[in-house]
Amino acid sequence: MKKILIVLLIIFAAGCAKKYVTPPLKSAVQKETVKETAEPVKKEVVKEVVEPKEAKLQESVVTATEEPSALKDVLFDYDKYDIRDDARPVLDTVSSFLKNNAAVNVVIEGHCDERGTNEYNLALGEKRAKAAKDYLTSLGVLPSRLSIITYGEEKPLCTEQNEACWQKNRRAHFAVTEK
Amino acid sequence: MKIDDREQMTENRNKNIYFLISFFFFLSSAFCLLPSAFGKVYIDITSPGIQKLPISITAKGVPEAKEIEAIIINDLDFTGLFSFVAPEVPGAEIIVQSEVSVSLNEITVLWSIIDLVENREVLKKRNTASRKSIRAIAHNISNDIYKFVTEKEGVFRTKISYLVYASPGKKELRLMDWDGFNSIKVIPVGLTSSHAWSNDGRFLMYSSERNRDWKIYFFDINDFKETVLFSSKGLNLVGNSSPQDEIAFSSSKDGNSEIYTINKNGSNLRKLTHSFGIDVSPAFSPDGSSIALVSDRGGSPQIYIMDATGSGIRRITFEGSYNTSPAWSPDGKWIAYTGMKGGKNQIFMVKSDGTELRQLTLNGNNESPSFSPDGLFLAFDSDRDGKRGIYIMRLNGEEQRRITPKDTKAMAPRWSPYFK
Repeated sequence: MKKILIVLLIIFAAGCAKKYVTPPLKSAVQKETVKETAEPVKKEVVKEVVEPKEAKLQESVVTATEEPSALKDVLFDYDKYDIRDDARPVLDTVSSFLKNNAAVNVVIEGHCDERGTNEYNLALGEKRAKAAKDYLTSLGVLPSRLSIITYGEEKPLCTEQNEACWQKNRRAHFAVTEK
Repeated sequence: MKIDDREQMTENRNKNIYFLISFFFFLSSAFCLLPSAFGKVYIDITSPGIQKLPISITAKGVPEAKEIEAIIINDLDFTGLFSFVAPEVPGAEIIVQSEVSVSLNEITVLWSIIDLVENREVLKKRNTASRKSIRAIAHNISNDIYKFVTEKEGVFRTKISYLVYASPGKKELRLMDWDGFNSIKVIPVGLTSSHAWSNDGRFLMYSSERNRDWKIYFFDINDFKETVLFSSKGLNLVGNSSPQDEIAFSSSKDGNSEIYTINKNGSNLRKLTHSFGIDVSPAFSPDGSSIALVSDRGGSPQIYIMDATGSGIRRITFEGSYNTSPAWSPDGKWIAYTGMKGGKNQIFMVKSDGTELRQLTLNGNNESPSFSPDGLFLAFDSDRDGKRGIYIMRLNGEEQRRITPKDTKAMAPRWSPYFK
């Protein structure tokens, strides 16, 4: 019978990369056998094995960095990823901020409202983040300073079911990272 | 059993258990039936107008007998193929009698099927298991009864993988029995999204976001080992596996989300789509010849089918402006999907040539359909009762049942294949 060891490695990395390693936990170990015997014409053995084994998983958590007030969210229409007219001044401000703060990079997070389906919304969120990145690049920001990530509908700002709330969630959000 | 009890069981089993998995192998001889019973099919599930088989099920002995009896009845009832007759009332065509006994560590069920028309015993068996495995032993008996009367494999020992919301941006991958019991955590870290079973049920494939990276992982259920199957910048979402063990997925590694296939050892990467818009959620047909996918190339997300080489792409959904998450039926004839109607998501089914559209759900938002391996049932998620949870139903939309607890936010079920 094998023992299970759990190693959950959580790395908090942001600026100062601290490493925490949780102690391994020992789980209950089970091994089960289901037997069937013929009675009188039937002969059958059924085995069930419940056998947890060792697993190693790694998780890193990037702590939220402080976001300068210059970096407002860029908002999008439902199921769309083109940059709206009202988003252009927002992106112009982001561009100026980056030109004035050469020591920082930004991660652009793409988000969606909850109405679509999760997988498609991940792809849509990525399109939104990329549209914001492309716009900033067109303003002269180096692409190497801009990375993108999608969270789809998984990290809503607002959880009510109305258009005002959904609009807040359909966004590209800027998070500053140190270079 | 009440949902509270179920949770209690789940809670106990999960205590200090990182994950726990079961796999089964069956060694059976061909002598299950008495010679004269060969060839008699009590229920022909392929016939159009099925008559329900009147059946009596009784278990006596230790208190566990009633639990076993209830599990067997619940299993068989879900199929819609049986009508249950109390043992003291006439009318049953067959009767299943069980005698349950326990020792210190083991539970034993001695059971038989009696054909009341022919007035003789047609099957007799003794099943023994650990006392913790009451549900497994009952599901085994259900499978045997089902196979005896239909000559088809029952799904009562299959599993469902699914996601549970943990906190904003965090979802864990879990496994449970097909009826919602014995839930265990598989992957509790990160934001897990799309996931799928390998054809033999030995591996789970899933996409997870950890540290701002979306990678595709491969998890060996036997060894409890996770490996990275595909990693690149951008969003990488796993679809499913072909019978030849090629894996379809979407990746934005070149900037735009396109459909790819790759061997399960990570070799032979092939790019199948080249469009400006979103291409996502690929699903190999059961024979591996075609891939269904979601694309917004026509201006809104719709379901398309293309050859497995990427050629011959054609749209199959035309009603509504938001159709996603396609799943093939095991016989390759149908696609179940999520379609938006009146601002709500519903489960639909359509023939793979785009004809015979059917709506299967009505209340709340219903998403993420997945076929049972026998093709007779669908698992899906719904928020009709408040918190999103996992439901199962028959293919005609009947018997829609919630199988996860009401206070757990659960979604995206994927029904396992038969375990080999």
